[in-house]
Parts: sequence; structure tokens; C-alpha cells
Amino acid sequence: MISRLYVWTKTPQPGALTLFPAPSGGVSSFFNVIKEAFLFPGLFRGDKLLWVFAWIFHATLALIVIGHVRVFTDFPALWNALGINADQMSAISGGTAGVIITIFALLLIFRRMTVLRVREVSNLSDFLALLLIVAILSTGNLMRFGEHFNLEITRAYFSQLLTFSLTASAVPQASMLMVHFLLAQILIMVIPFSKVMHFGGIFFTKAIIQKS
Amino acid sequence: MSQSDAVNSGTATGHAAEVKSNKVTGGALREAVVNSISGIDNGPRVLKLYMEMCVRCGTCAEQCPVYKGDPTELRNPAVRTDLIRSVFKKHKTLLGKLAGPIVGASDFDGDMETFVNAFYECTGCRRCATFCPMSIDNSVVTRKGRAIADTLGYTPEQLQKVVAISLETGNTDGASETAFKDVVAFLEEEIKDDCGIDVRIPFDKAGAEIFLVPPSGDLLVNPEATMGMAKMFHKLGVSWTLSSKAFDGANYGLFTGDDKSMKEDNKLYVDEAKRLKCKTLMMGECGHAHRIMKFIMEKAGWWGQLPFEIGNILQYTAGKIEDGAIKLDKSANPDPVTYHDPCNFGRSCGIVEEPRTIMTACCADFREMTPNRHLNWCCGGGGGLSAMDSIYEFRMNVSGKMKLKQIDDTGAKFCAAPCSNCKRQLLQLMQHHKRDVTIGGVHDMLMKAIVM
Repeated sequence: MISRLYVWTKTPQPGALTLFPAPSGGVSSFFNVIKEAFLFPGLFRGDKLLWVFAWIFHATLALIVIGHVRVFTDFPALWNALGINADQMSAISGGTAGVIITIFALLLIFRRMTVLRVREVSNLSDFLALLLIVAILSTGNLMRFGEHFNLEITRAYFSQLLTFSLTASAVPQASMLMVHFLLAQILIMVIPFSKVMHFGGIFFTKAIIQKS
Repeated sequence: MSQSDAVNSGTATGHAAEVKSNKVTGGALREAVVNSISGIDNGPRVLKLYMEMCVRCGTCAEQCPVYKGDPTELRNPAVRTDLIRSVFKKHKTLLGKLAGPIVGASDFDGDMETFVNAFYECTGCRRCATFCPMSIDNSVVTRKGRAIADTLGYTPEQLQKVVAISLETGNTDGASETAFKDVVAFLEEEIKDDCGIDVRIPFDKAGAEIFLVPPSGDLLVNPEATMGMAKMFHKLGVSWTLSSKAFDGANYGLFTGDDKSMKEDNKLYVDEAKRLKCKTLMMGECGHAHRIMKFIMEKAGWWGQLPFEIGNILQYTAGKIEDGAIKLDKSANPDPVTYHDPCNFGRSCGIVEEPRTIMTACCADFREMTPNRHLNWCCGGGGGLSAMDSIYEFRMNVSGKMKLKQIDDTGAKFCAAPCSNCKRQLLQLMQHHKRDVTIGGVHDMLMKAIVM
């Protein structure tokens, strides 16, 4: 992944491709790129319905990613500062966000199948990527609402994995977790070679088009 | 000169220029296309990113004048771009090599006709880039596609002719120095008849402050704008000049993807500006000409440090109006008028408010199109398509469809477009669909409104 970002920075770009209205440069350019990457204003103007789907999908995804950090460590100080406890945080970033994102991922698949101009540009891999994400989300939701999830055991397991000191007894007896983890690993392996890298590339394309 | 002359005297007619027609075919063609596309791996960076970054969301199609005009698959911008992207994926990405069809990678099938037609159905208006969540500018890919076609001899014949004529004569109409001088004398007479004042249209005057470079169409086809500028310069007492050798800012190398001829065509103008020792090389009402001078040639430093500034007449005139340096009488233009933002002036050069300053100062009833400014719909003739008679039906019924509706909605009787390509396309569009709308430039309005 890093190598792909590095190659992008090293590929020569002669000339500018300024697209107006463009900020005058420097700091305002920087903030504009950040705004584009986090709020998708261009898409908002171009396709409002897709903006709703896409923005909610990405925003809940961000919440979920943050929530997963708790698998490795916790931030009691942060929860206290926000006036919530870890369980409430978990309910928001896991429970609520998990359900919402699954619905919107399904809506994105539905859109890809039914809207002609989107179906025309869709490859099998576009559907597979979304289906993989739905599978990861569903197993994640089932862990929360189905089998009992034990944070302490899971945290111990990942800590041993990361230090290459896994013992057989530490492997959680939770089949849904193992499926969830396996699918997530597949996704992580595919990311560097696929369009999912758009979360890195967007900063490059946005910056080039704003450069004056 | 009447409006119908403008339609009939298309670019590059009646001039016998050499056209290269050695088309590469067969295995050599396939190899050349694949090599050229694989070369994107080494840059430019934007193209490489565009090959790898499209999330296939379909937003570009929703905002493309061509796809909106006729939603068929090859007119979908992302599908068109895939003609190149699929080959890149096949040869330069891991998943493309391993899992070809699943990720949409495939080899070039040798169908050059589809390839060329597709890239000459994109007007390069950059509207997709404005809305794309990834800021993918499909016009860059279109230009790459055309560049590939050009090196292999597949540029549409009419555009090959325009490029050849321009390199031979210095202007895209193939007009001679004598013809130029006749036109200038004729325009001086016209102004005299019109307002009774001797207004000179100087040319080849070394040491003039301003060297004006209009598109040749603004002398030969729609000269009202140039007459307006002449009257304004006269009133301001500014020393200015045209050149009898370099009076056409148009440069079709931008459209055919041929960097070499684009540079060669440009050199004459820079050399002429140096020879005339002007302070400002003032580009006229021609968006792509201004873009090449200001945003491509000057930025990239093709000819090193320039001993002159590059300006645009729209900015210049708007400045003079704001300073109160010229008096204008709105009642000279009582009919409803509207303004079409040419893609190259709006999205590519950021000149959007200046023409409005001029229009509102010169016209009693100015109306905006919706959308406008950098969101404006292309006229349907961008990227050189306007000069192609071979796709007339396409321009009238597909790429120009959104524009026709936009103009209809304003109820305007006059539509100003500071771009010879837009003018030709819009004029044909209005005549083809039997609309009673006159097409002209921004300074056409000033010509009528300026108080001498």
C-alpha cells in the first residue's frame, strides 16, 4: 500500500490541470482537498442521492474503524472526556453504525444493479468488493447480536497474534469472529491492488486539479 | 457578412493542404496502441491515477452533455475511458493480469474505428471532472486517446486539414495576408459608415502597447466583436495592433492531441509578440487560445522568460468599465440577451465574472442560463468537434441537446459566446432547430452600446 502511494508521488506530472473555481493556493488549497475528501461537495452537486448513500456509508465506516481500535487498546480517558462510557461508545460505533452501514452497502449494490449508467460501468469486481464488505459487516453484526462477544479474550488473542506468540488456548472459541476476521484479511489483502485504494489516491487527484 | 455565411464557411474549406493519411494497421497497430497505453505507467501522474482510481459510481454520465443527449453505453464517459483503462489494467496491474475479465481488464481488440469515434464524441468540456468525487478529468484521457490516434494516422481528416492549414498559413481558415488586409480595410469602412468616425485598425505596428490576437473567425466570420474592440481602443486612445501574419489564436494541436504541432503553431505568435515589442499579448474572445497561452505555454515555460504579459480582452474591457473609462448606452441593446460560458474560459481559465460585467453594462435585459459559470453545459462542439461536418447530426441532436434546452429556457433573442467554436456550433444549433436566436460575441454588444 505504501509502495503504491510512493509510486504515485514519484510519477512525473508536467504542467497543471487547474479546474476553476480553484483556490489561490497553499493553505486554502490544502483545506479544500480535505473538505473534498471528507464531505464530497462535488458529488453533492452532481448526484444528491448517491451523496447520501456514499457519505453515510463512509462516515459510518470511519466510526466502525475507530471502534475496532478497542480490540487492541482502550481509551477510557477519551470516553470520560466525551461523557460516555465504553459500552455506549461500543453501542454507537458497533451496534448502530453496523446496522446502518449494512443497509447502505446493500443500497449501493441495489443502485449498481438498477441504475443503467452505473450498471454500464460496473465490472464483476465492483460487485464482489461490495459483497465482500456486506459479508464482513453481516458477520460483524452477528457477533454483536448473535453469539456472545468477549472483548477480553479477543484482545488477548490479537495481542498474541501481533507479537507472534500465539498459543492454542488463546484462540477464541467464536466461529463468527473467525469468519469475520478471515474475510477482513481477504479485504485487506485486496486493497493495495484494487480501486479500494481510492481513499489514498483521492488526495492526489484532488490536489492536482486544484493546483493553480 | 451574414450569419448563414458563417455556417457555410466552415473551418478549412477550399484549401488544398497536405494531409497525412498513412494509417498504421494490423499487428503494428495493436502493438503501438498497447505500448502507448502501457507508457502511462511512467506518467503523467494524473493519467496513471485515472487508470487506477475510478470507483465506477456513474456520476460523470449524469453530468455529461453527450450521455445526457443520448444515453448509450459508449457515450458513458467511464465506458469511453475504459477503452484505454481496460488495456492499461491488462498490461500494468496485478489484478488485471491475474483476473482480467473480473476487474474489467482486456486487451486492445484492434477496432480503431470505435476507438477514434468514441474519443471524437467527447467534447473535452471537463464537466465530469467538476462533479466526479475523485476529480477524474476524462478530457485528459480523451486527449490521450486522440494522441494515440494521431500518431497512427487516425485523426479525422477534417481536423488533420485544419492543423496542416494552420501550420502553413498561420491561421485555421487558410486566409492570406492580402485577404487579411482587405478585411481590415472593409471593417474600418463599416465602422465609419456606422458611427461616422475614422477608427483605425492598426496592424504590424511595432512598439504598440497591446498586440491583439483574436480567433480568425472574429475577423472573417463574426467581425462585430473586433469592431467593438477597435472602437473601444480608439476611445481610450490606447496604442494597439493586430498582426497580418498572426491573427488567429486557434490551435488545433490541443484537440488532436498532437503536442508537437501545438507548440509549432504557438511559436509564431510568441515570436510575433516579441518582434512587435508589445507590452501585452492580448488574447481575444477564444477560450482554448487563452488557455494555451496563459495556462499551458506560459506555465510550462515553453519559450523561457517572456518579455511581455499575457492578458485577455474580456478582463481588460471589464476593468475599463469598472474604472468608468468608457461610456455605454444600454438602450442600444434592448432585446433579452444571455451569455454562454465556453468551457475553456469558465472551467479551464476561471474567466466568468468579466464577461458578465461587460454584458450587464451593455444590455438592458441580461438573463442567466441555468446552470451557469463553471457548471455550464458545453455547447456540444467543444474539443474541436464544432469544425467537424462529418458529425453534424450528432452535434445537433446529441451533444447540443442540453444547450438547446438551456437557451430556450432563457427566452433570449441573442446569445453571446466568446469562442469561435461555440459560435459555430450554437449558430448551427439555432438554425437546425429553427430558433430565432442570434449568436455572436461579447464585444458585439459593446460595439453597439459604446458611446463615441
